[in-house]
Amino acid sequence: MISCSRNPAAFAFSMPDKPGKVDRTFHFRSTSKTSVYNARSRGAATGIRCCSGKKGREDSVPRNYYELLGVSTDSTPQQIKDAYRSLQKKHHPDIAGQKGHDYTLMLNQAYRTLMREESRSRYDTACGRRSEWSGSNFSGLGYSSWNGPLGSQALFVDEHRCIGCQECVHHASETFEMDEAFGSARVKVQFGDHAKNIEVSVDSCPVNCIHWVDAEELPLLEFLVRPQPKKAYGVFGGGWERPADVFAAAKSLKKQLKEQEEKKHNRDHKGDAEIEPETPAQTKARYHAGMKLQFQELLQMFGRLGEFFVAEESKEK
Amino acid sequence: MPLWVPERSQVAPAACLSPSPEAPRALSLFSSSSFLPLPNSQCLVWRTDLLVISLFRMAEQPYTVASDSETTGDDKSQSAFHDLAIGIEVGTSKCSIAVWNGAQVELLRNTRKQKSMRSYVMFKDDTSSGEASSGGASNKTAYEEKEILSGSAIFNMKRLIGRADTDPIVHASKNLPFVVQTLGIGVKPFIAALVNNVWRSTTPEEVLAIFLVELKTMAEVQLKRLIRNVVLTIPVSFNRFQQIRVERACAMAGLHVLRLMPEPTAVALLYAQQQQQQQQQSLHGGMGSGCEKVALIFNMGAGYCDVATTATAGGVSQIKAMQGCTLGGEDILKNVLYHLLPNFDSLYSNRDTNKIRSMGLLRIAAQDAIHRLSTQSSVQINVDLGDGTKMQRVLHQSEFEEVNRNVFEICEKLIKLCLADSKLAAEDINDVILVGGCSRIPKIRSLVLGLCKKEKEYEGMDALEAAVTGAALEGAVASGITDPSGSLDMLTIQATPLSLGIRVHGGGFVPIIQRNTAIPVRKSTIFTTTQDGQTEALIVVYEGDGKMVEENHLMGYFKVTAIPLAPKGTAEISVCMDIDAANTLRVFAGAMMLGTDRANSPFFEVRMPTLDDAHGWCAQALVKTHGSALDLTTIPKELQPQKVQ
Repeated sequence: MISCSRNPAAFAFSMPDKPGKVDRTFHFRSTSKTSVYNARSRGAATGIRCCSGKKGREDSVPRNYYELLGVSTDSTPQQIKDAYRSLQKKHHPDIAGQKGHDYTLMLNQAYRTLMREESRSRYDTACGRRSEWSGSNFSGLGYSSWNGPLGSQALFVDEHRCIGCQECVHHASETFEMDEAFGSARVKVQFGDHAKNIEVSVDSCPVNCIHWVDAEELPLLEFLVRPQPKKAYGVFGGGWERPADVFAAAKSLKKQLKEQEEKKHNRDHKGDAEIEPETPAQTKARYHAGMKLQFQELLQMFGRLGEFFVAEESKEK
Repeated sequence: MPLWVPERSQVAPAACLSPSPEAPRALSLFSSSSFLPLPNSQCLVWRTDLLVISLFRMAEQPYTVASDSETTGDDKSQSAFHDLAIGIEVGTSKCSIAVWNGAQVELLRNTRKQKSMRSYVMFKDDTSSGEASSGGASNKTAYEEKEILSGSAIFNMKRLIGRADTDPIVHASKNLPFVVQTLGIGVKPFIAALVNNVWRSTTPEEVLAIFLVELKTMAEVQLKRLIRNVVLTIPVSFNRFQQIRVERACAMAGLHVLRLMPEPTAVALLYAQQQQQQQQQSLHGGMGSGCEKVALIFNMGAGYCDVATTATAGGVSQIKAMQGCTLGGEDILKNVLYHLLPNFDSLYSNRDTNKIRSMGLLRIAAQDAIHRLSTQSSVQINVDLGDGTKMQRVLHQSEFEEVNRNVFEICEKLIKLCLADSKLAAEDINDVILVGGCSRIPKIRSLVLGLCKKEKEYEGMDALEAAVTGAALEGAVASGITDPSGSLDMLTIQATPLSLGIRVHGGGFVPIIQRNTAIPVRKSTIFTTTQDGQTEALIVVYEGDGKMVEENHLMGYFKVTAIPLAPKGTAEISVCMDIDAANTLRVFAGAMMLGTDRANSPFFEVRMPTLDDAHGWCAQALVKTHGSALDLTTIPKELQPQKVQ
């Protein structure tokens, strides 16, 4: 009868909104017979906490919504939906019996949070788990430098597809370099060699991973193709990763940045409209300040006129 | 009052199994499937507990005797299904039983080979046992509609169960042949059937219980095993108070309710199964979770109208939104009756036997006319009312639609509300599923399809059997039965049809769990005190969607004590609500220690609803006795702790 009685570990997720703000999610500590409504936790902004019963902390307890659903942090709503449904099929109390209650509770909560874009981004920010390609650390500057004036076209190596044959470096060593750590080539200096050499090196690539791209696109592509350190969360622990299709990723990131820009713009715009009407005292102060400015101008003018007259007089003398 | 609800896989709490002198008598009472009239419901329920328990204590003896003779051959298959829940749909006018037979869902037939049986209980005087009653499922006698409408039978119990006598639906039931008396004070209505020219009183729960006993006996004979677990379908608009009454009626009949399923969600489960089978056929066992299908389910029977939207993929159907109201064929019939006979009320107010009979005849004629209007544009009504008056007239379809305009308007409103709740446009809907008896009315079909901008409705579902089939599927799934072919590999994720919350200062209703939230769910909110130095607070739990508590249903109340002394608005009282998959609501509440994250004293855990009759009075009495001394209020938004959405 009691929801937690069969499950030694009862968990609760908490979602802090802003660091430092009070976080009061309730935790049910299950004892052998009844679930005692135990305590809440304040302060610390860790995403998830777990209270467990007599058995102590279980390692298998998922630590965030993404891990719970077994999806990656950049998964689409459709993937989340599919994962949610397949997990529900395993854990729903209709199928798993009463012991599935707690798990399903969490599933429902995770699903509710992640399916709505607004609450998902709030959750991501709160947990410091904004997806890597969100552009948060995108500086707007490319990696490669330019030899000579900026052109409209630039060279770009899709490092994800590069097999590390070093052909390009061999033909145009000033332009291309090898990244020893990742075993792939990349552009060091745009147009560092003769156009002919560059053409040969582009043609020599056995997997055609050297592309001519718009110079505007270059910084974004170079940013995205660099492997990003992956934060560890559960099974997707640590390491490095980069998008499989860098061009598609660039496209979506560009869109995202644009949206952010628009949102920011809207917010600023809205902010203007929402300025509070000034108080009478403020009006008075503003009036005085304005008068003072005008007087200052007049005084300066007088001053300058005075100087002028003095100068004229001295000339006449 | 302890309501006996056993846990899955447990038989009965050991403490309840203490020997009782009542038990043998109760058992004999039970096995003859007859009921003694009991003075009041309190006593009845108390005895019921004994009845149920004694039945389980002696479970093997009375029933296996009958089944032993034939079960030797297929013992193995029987043992696998010994705990399998059957699906029962008790409709306002018709009812049916279905069960998973190992490969598919099978509807049981009564001895008259009917799959859907008329829901009623006939009260007859029987000199040998004092009272005997039988309902539509009984195999002994088949009563004609004329006899059912003679006043000796109680029907439409689904419209009466769990309602107070201030309810307009109860008032509307006064034109039925049996007696429905109301005193308008918020208590159980008085209902009575005519037995030997005497109005003998009963209650809707008792009637439903008698009826369920008959259904149970019928199913036990056919399935040759004991039946204990059932999945019952209920209308979406049933509040928890009504649900408790249905559960109680089941307990009286010796049945354990595994799930109470809103009818459209049962249909959604069947839809999920059909979709999955289709996909498996087309993909030859591919991933199956590929395309999501959104369906609108419109279910209108004799008593209730429900609308639900569901998103289905990979055998999982998620209920997006539900709407329901007490509107059905009974209202259509009433409209037609008043249209045919404008002075209907004054004519039948005195209730002598002849009047009741002629009223019954008129009802039959009107019912028949409505049925025929589904296929014809006009019908001839010829009825001899017996008391010298004859009615002869033609009823046109346009006339019928005009008379029932209010019914169609409500249907339209429900569908629009449901679509808005689920944030769906008509274009998003892949299938429109029409079920229930009233879905045969041409105007309703065109209305629903028009609103969903569809040419055709979904085919492949029997309008009258869909809900009970879905209930039987749920019964099999929730009983832990698996099917190698994957026919049971599905799930309906239910949602709460109504919001749940508590009363705050000033009579406002603050929802804690919003409607259409997927269950199971657990949510909590922090409240604060309204008085300086307030040490106790009253948690008054309501269900509904009104902004003020008066518009909602009172579920129960309890007091949180040991609130630390503090100025008003600073103490923190946490209220948490938890609904499990069986739709059981628990409320946890307690005071927090000031400035810490610990509870000040042990929390309270209350299973709701805790109320019985006269719940209309309780709210007023509470306000009268305590005023606002124990009131709570919400914490301003900026101070409100983060709600995990």
